[in-house]
Amino acid sequence: MDADGLNDALGLSNDKSQNLGAYIYQPPKHRKSAGERPSKRRKVSSTADKDERPDRQHFVPLLNGDENAKSVQLRYDAYQELWSKQEHKIQVSQANSWVVIVINYSPGLKNILEDVDAGVLTDVLSFVRDTSPQTCDGCIPTALVTVGSNVSSLSRLLSRLNGQLISAGEGSVVVLESGDAPNLKTTLKNIIRATVTNTDGNDGYQRFLTDRAGPRLLGYDLDLLHDYVQRKGTKKLVLALRDSEAFDPGLLTDLLSLFKSWLDRIPFTVLLGISTSVELFEGRLPRSCVALLQGKHFEVQEAGNCVDRIYETLQTDPDTNLWLGRNVTSTLFENTSDYFQSPEAFSRMVKYAYMSHFFANPLAVLLANPDSTVLAQNKFCEAIRNLPSFRMFCEDLVEEGSINQVRDMLEVDEYLIQEAPKYLDANQQRMQNMFQAVRVVHTCLQYTQSSKKTNVSDLSIRALSGELSESTIVEEMVATTKTLDSDKLDGLLLRLREIIMGPEAGAIQEDLRTLLGTCVNSGPLRSGYNINSTVTKTTVVQQRILLSKGQADLSEPAVEYTNIVDRLVALLQVHLTETLINPQDLFLHEIFLFDLRNPLKETFAPRPRFAIERALSTPFDYLLSSSDVTMTKVSAKQPATAILYQLYLDSGALVNVHDLWQAFYGVFETEEAGGCDDRVVMSLFYGALSELKAFGVIKNSRKKTDHLAKSAWMGL
Amino acid sequence: MLPKEVASSLSTQWPCRDVQMRQLASLLSPHVPSPSTLVVHGISATCKSTILRAVLATLEVPHAIVRSSECITGRHLLTKIIWNTLEALEQKEDWEKSGKGRCEHVSGLAVLLEECLAARPVEKQGKFVLVLDEIDRQRDAPHTLLSALARLGEIVPSLCVVLVLSSTPRPLFLQSAAVPHVSFPPYTRKEAIHIILSSNAPVVDGLPDETSTRVYPYFVSTVYDSLVGPTAGSIPDFRSICDRLWPRFVAPVVNGETPQGGNNEWDFSRLLVKNRVIFRHQGESALVHRIVPDETPASAKRAPLAKTLMPSALPSLPYFSTLILTSAYLASHTPQRLDTIFFSKFSSSSLSARNKRAHHRRRLKVLSQAQAEERQAANDDPSTPKKGKRTKTRITKSTLSSAFATSSATTSAIGGGAGIAGPSTILTARSFPLERLLAIYHAIDPNPPATPLRVAAVADRIYAELATLRRLRLVVPAASHNAMATSSGNTTADAGDKWCVNVSGDWIGELAKGIGVEVGEWLAGGLD
Repeated sequence: MDADGLNDALGLSNDKSQNLGAYIYQPPKHRKSAGERPSKRRKVSSTADKDERPDRQHFVPLLNGDENAKSVQLRYDAYQELWSKQEHKIQVSQANSWVVIVINYSPGLKNILEDVDAGVLTDVLSFVRDTSPQTCDGCIPTALVTVGSNVSSLSRLLSRLNGQLISAGEGSVVVLESGDAPNLKTTLKNIIRATVTNTDGNDGYQRFLTDRAGPRLLGYDLDLLHDYVQRKGTKKLVLALRDSEAFDPGLLTDLLSLFKSWLDRIPFTVLLGISTSVELFEGRLPRSCVALLQGKHFEVQEAGNCVDRIYETLQTDPDTNLWLGRNVTSTLFENTSDYFQSPEAFSRMVKYAYMSHFFANPLAVLLANPDSTVLAQNKFCEAIRNLPSFRMFCEDLVEEGSINQVRDMLEVDEYLIQEAPKYLDANQQRMQNMFQAVRVVHTCLQYTQSSKKTNVSDLSIRALSGELSESTIVEEMVATTKTLDSDKLDGLLLRLREIIMGPEAGAIQEDLRTLLGTCVNSGPLRSGYNINSTVTKTTVVQQRILLSKGQADLSEPAVEYTNIVDRLVALLQVHLTETLINPQDLFLHEIFLFDLRNPLKETFAPRPRFAIERALSTPFDYLLSSSDVTMTKVSAKQPATAILYQLYLDSGALVNVHDLWQAFYGVFETEEAGGCDDRVVMSLFYGALSELKAFGVIKNSRKKTDHLAKSAWMGL
Repeated sequence: MLPKEVASSLSTQWPCRDVQMRQLASLLSPHVPSPSTLVVHGISATCKSTILRAVLATLEVPHAIVRSSECITGRHLLTKIIWNTLEALEQKEDWEKSGKGRCEHVSGLAVLLEECLAARPVEKQGKFVLVLDEIDRQRDAPHTLLSALARLGEIVPSLCVVLVLSSTPRPLFLQSAAVPHVSFPPYTRKEAIHIILSSNAPVVDGLPDETSTRVYPYFVSTVYDSLVGPTAGSIPDFRSICDRLWPRFVAPVVNGETPQGGNNEWDFSRLLVKNRVIFRHQGESALVHRIVPDETPASAKRAPLAKTLMPSALPSLPYFSTLILTSAYLASHTPQRLDTIFFSKFSSSSLSARNKRAHHRRRLKVLSQAQAEERQAANDDPSTPKKGKRTKTRITKSTLSSAFATSSATTSAIGGGAGIAGPSTILTARSFPLERLLAIYHAIDPNPPATPLRVAAVADRIYAELATLRRLRLVVPAASHNAMATSSGNTTADAGDKWCVNVSGDWIGELAKGIGVEVGEWLAGGLD
């Protein structure tokens, strides 16, 4: 083997261009050399780092790098502002959605806002207050809270419970996660520390440890907690395990038996958050441990509900100016239904979507309402003119006959810059109207349908693809609205009035009120479309029975009521057809509608295994090949590990090492006609083999000593 | 006070422990010298600690009690011993003199204890008893701890160490001769019934006292014979079962029903005949403690036969996770050598392939049946030489019919059926490598991707979901399945590592049906 071939094989050649096709990870350099001790981590305020580069650009200039700095900064600022607004909304909506969960739990409640503290919280609180070891046959009082796959919802419940107990001076809640509990000693230490810092802060904990009469106790001694409970007069100390399943069962048993023996001195109440079911959880604990617990079961469920609520707030809020398109929406909801995902993860994905829009779309600067000087770059106008929606818009204008306007837009930059924000505003308004219409449909459906649950996300996906106005959902909705009686219609109008602000809706309501005022005693009015108002007539003609439907005679108010219903239905239909447009038809929709499926999907589902397998089986997908011919089969030009991996792919579950070596040697032998150095190839072979071992694709076989066992198959 | 007097004063409160009380009282009496070490042993709920405390309190011997179960480490125990001793001797303020409340080793403990005891005023110089409760349950104890503690009394003359054990000690386990042992045996039938009857019957509204006093003794002994005795239940269990069952037992009297057979009076035998069923259903459920107790109030008017407690709604998982869990379940319950027959894509739909699979399912079931029977036989007759016995693989008509008579294999998992579960049968969950799970996932996917080229991303998504499933302990690494003691934190997840499913099959079957996968198609005895 000549020197070049060897260098190629070892990757030693100085020609770095070979690596240009791949990204090489370089860990950040530390100031200290490798031999020195790493500096201790200390709590230092991070302001020093920030001051170093205050003007650092977070986004890169687009338009082939010609975008001016101000516009880049504007995009970044617009993104920051938008996200901070949306984040605030998400937090509010999460808080509210918890209320919804509460309402679902106890359906008897009506007023959502007044009963924030109702439901699970009240139940758990009263359980904590009322139970004591005496009422539980001497067992530890235990509240089992099933939360489904949404673990985070429990923490809100716990923090409120904590707040209430502390403000009432009854005790506190200590939250423990499985990560805090590697062994018994650390767990106890964490519990004690959390309990004391919960009320007294970190300094309080230090003072608590030092300011005691008598010797300093060990950090895990529950005597400390006993002392604390006596000092504070705590009546209930709630210990909440947020993810109980993840705790080691042995540790849990130890911990609980310890609590049991201290129960006469420290008033423990245990709250277990369970993601699967009580039976499964109970079945996994030893009997002796189950015998220590007794209590009650509470249920908090439905993560999907929470996510729907967040989505609704983000999209239908009147001051939104950037929307998520159909593809993004369906990707988001696919993730929620198919995988374990918390509402927090959902909002992170939304954040990423927003960010990528502002990051990669130079036109997004228009959302920041810039003055025209920022926009006066020739490439910017070119970019607008290249939009598909611009082309459609111009074609429409030509059809309408305003050719001059088209000419101006195509040729005069100033004109375009002046006009574009106007159109943007108008079209954003139409998008807002569209989502208001979605809300109208949703409200009507909620009010009219009781069985099927249609959520905002489904409706939004249809609306975003422009299908909602002709869909069967809307038709059915209109049909049901016709048959409503007057009481229900009144309720519906009341709800709709918050969304549709037109004078017509107000007029209809007025009329309905006056009509109802005139006939108070006759009970609810029915319209002519109601099933009770049609009469089926049976007539016998020539020994056949004919069924004919006919209108029953309607009373005076009923006729009037039917009129009102007709007006309302007409109003609804007009409103919906006007507002439910296809957003893809709007001019500049690329700016205010983010609808690229790809960065989102790829980013949140990385494929490391696929990438590694591909890199090993076809290395020149990543590395630049030194020869011009693209090779598909194994060759000595490839890295040794890749060669060995491809040979390995050809083999069965057990590989004879000698065979593998022969094949490996053969690859080099055929390419280097002049004969190659055994020892060099052997060293390459060993290197490659150990690398494959490090990847975990091969391991030593126990069946045959000179064989390797395959432990990974490609393409799974 | 003489030992006899101690026993008689205490036995009203704790009956049936006269012998032990007298032994303890005579050994620990302040007027006679005590043995340096004393061992008290007996299983749990035999009143060891209670009697010991009561005797010590009655004798007015200065003593300190340390509950070993509350001490986390050996060092913690030693510190606690010192601290409690100081407290008992009322020398709490002088803690700085005696090692500053710190004690690292047993040898240090001996010195410190000697100093403490020597510092007592002269008139109080006397016997001091140190009780170490449940010392055999001490966590992190060095193996010399027990024998070292037993020597304390020899080094410090005025000290008597009482070791309370809940397991039966081996002979000479303290490495020293002639340590007196006081044994607390479990209560016998007579004693247990006597103890329960010494308190009155639970009050039931509307039940005449006369009937209660007449029937209750019979009831208690029936409960003992049917439920408590066979299960070696303790006194608290016995009492709670009696309390729970008694109102139901006398419900016919309270409700004013008339007994059959023309007699107007309820006597015990009539009640028993009427209530046979409680002993079978409620009785058995009463033996098992549940965290969430049965909601039906004890004074329910009619004893309901059907189970009133609805099982809480089974959790539902996201689609993808369900599929992974299902594949993990199948991987655990299908022998690896049959993978090509059950999961191969090449023979999936033809009739002959289905017949072949059905044949293998049945055969597997029969095999497992045979194995279970064989082990049963081996258990019954341990003298049978194991060698030469071959697993019965031939299917005869009788084995087939007996196999189908028993329950389906889908019910097995942890525990499973009484006879079928075991380390070696086909029906217990076995561990599998991750690659096998992936392969089976692809085989059972009900919505396979239209273009097979785009499947590559799945493996990486599976790992993420598997992590969550592992956190929920539905699928666990095989090592921690066998030994639960491993810490929950960090296990490496190599490709070669084995995993195991950790839940019952019924639930997974239900879940899988929800997403359109029929588990029975691949399982031994499924679909039959």
